[in-house]
Amino acid sequence: MKIEDVVCTFCGCLCDDLVVEVDGRRVVSVENGCTLANEKFMGDHRLQSPIRRNGKGWEHISYDDAIRETAEILCDADRPILYGWSGTHGEAQSIGIHLAELLGALVDNTSTVCHGPSILAIQEVGHPGCTLGQVKNRADVVVYWGTNPIDAHPRHMSRYTTFADGFFLKEAFRDRRLIVVDVRKTESANIADEFITIEPGGDYAVLSALRAIVRGKREIIPPSVSGVSREQLFRVADLLLSAKFGAIFFGLGLTMSPGKYKNVRNAIELTEELSRHTKYTISPMRGHWNVYGSNEVFTWITGYPYAVDFARGIAFYNPGETTSVDVLRRKECDACLVVGSDPGAHFPKACAEHLARIPTIQIDPHTNATTHLSRIQIPVAVTGIDAEGTAYRMDGVPIRTRMLFKGEYPSDTEILERLYTLVKEAKGP
Amino acid sequence: MSLPIIPYLQEIARLEWLHKFFFVRTAPLVTPSYSRGFPELTNKTCTHALFCMMACPAPGAIDVIKTPDGWEPRIHKGHCIRCGLCVEACPNGVLTSGRILESMFNDSTRLSFSFRIDVDTNLCMGCGNCAVACPVNKLIDTQMAYGGRASTDQLLLKVSDGKCHVLHAELCTGCKTCENHCPNEAIRVSRLLEAVQIAEVEP
Repeated sequence: MKIEDVVCTFCGCLCDDLVVEVDGRRVVSVENGCTLANEKFMGDHRLQSPIRRNGKGWEHISYDDAIRETAEILCDADRPILYGWSGTHGEAQSIGIHLAELLGALVDNTSTVCHGPSILAIQEVGHPGCTLGQVKNRADVVVYWGTNPIDAHPRHMSRYTTFADGFFLKEAFRDRRLIVVDVRKTESANIADEFITIEPGGDYAVLSALRAIVRGKREIIPPSVSGVSREQLFRVADLLLSAKFGAIFFGLGLTMSPGKYKNVRNAIELTEELSRHTKYTISPMRGHWNVYGSNEVFTWITGYPYAVDFARGIAFYNPGETTSVDVLRRKECDACLVVGSDPGAHFPKACAEHLARIPTIQIDPHTNATTHLSRIQIPVAVTGIDAEGTAYRMDGVPIRTRMLFKGEYPSDTEILERLYTLVKEAKGP
Repeated sequence: MSLPIIPYLQEIARLEWLHKFFFVRTAPLVTPSYSRGFPELTNKTCTHALFCMMACPAPGAIDVIKTPDGWEPRIHKGHCIRCGLCVEACPNGVLTSGRILESMFNDSTRLSFSFRIDVDTNLCMGCGNCAVACPVNKLIDTQMAYGGRASTDQLLLKVSDGKCHVLHAELCTGCKTCENHCPNEAIRVSRLLEAVQIAEVEP
């Protein structure tokens, strides 16, 4: 059976035009999706049942046992962390936050190690953003700064920016100009009209130089700024100013390089400068398919987008103090529930070591690096394949993902609801 | 031993040498009688197949330009080597030069273009830039150009199973848009130019 308009739950693009052929409980083929989507839908390395470490190795246990033991570990902990959430749907995220409130836990999502700094910058100077549809229909200059969409968001260019024809751009790839800024020549840079190679850590200076040029202060620009020649900066500034509508996209090259949120703040302020002359927008390239959703759901319920600490009984947010990496590095927490993410692969070594020391429980369909640090892993259905739920695209558009077939696994929502019920019973009224 | 500079100066200081140096005249360039001239336009209609540009071995010698009356090839004389391949390659006889068209007619020969597309699936990320940019795909399925949603299998290029696939290579016009916009250098278009007898092609 061929199912049309399937939503891909891999990256923040949330492409919703896939055609997936399903035979019973098996995905047979994927059309229109990139190679990442294909792997996501066709991959069959699912964990068969919950597993628990027994000293020598792993043993299979029932869902009831796994959930009961998880609830006991979380209830016994003084300072539990509930981390992840970007790889699951909004309904499960919502339960996770209520669970954190019940436990007095710290709840954090993957923004803490990706676009957290972007959020800090946005909290300072705002977010002149737009939906990807606006970019597709209007943008004649597209900038990718510190991001390589061809590898991380393969269809971003063909679906929303450079190559996609839009309402005002009938010959998109001829009418649009593409600028790529990175520390090395990436695949995306191969097709750029202008590629700027920046010395690592030089983003802030180059952004400031571009702001100065846009402000009309060309005479103060030195011959070279962080490895970028003055002539190229002038050329790029002229190209930026020539746009009728420009769109800047930035990735972790900006948020996680020296300067961190100040880089993003500078980029937003460059956008503001450019908007004095023409129309510009700026947007982060969000990684997980529902990381934007985790920020949204966190903000609705707690008032804060990530790193929310309920230890005081109320929501408390102080990045640097309540962010997971800092709490783990201080060896402060004594239990961790990981949902829909892989901190074992992405956290610093010291944090991963602490995760291995404390009881860590992972709720995830697949085994991954975090499995090796965990005490219990509970497999669940994959949202977008055998579970459904709401996700947020990288531009903040909510999209309902579809269930292609009813599988044998419970969804994140079902597991977390049961966990919540057990914890609530244990905590009493 | 005298310094070598002195005989050198004596040599170049001769009036005859100086006169030759400053008032040198080369023979005027004459087109030899056996050489054909630059390609010229016939009154046939150009269909913008661009075979002339593809066949041309001299970089920058020919362009096809959009004029108010339609497409028109332009020869850049400084670059053209008058090989006549453009005249032979044109499927519509838009250009003429010397006796080329006459010979082709008498001998029933012509230059035939065919195109082959190869995708290296190890490099392809399935980004769809090629399939979305492809002007042939755009004509067959307008939706493709607006974001890569394929609604038919009659396309030239389509992304399925995470990789770009060539479905109908015979539709390719050899424009190389896909090759030029592939970020992974995974797609290659070969232009095969063969001299054929028309009888062979159209029995």
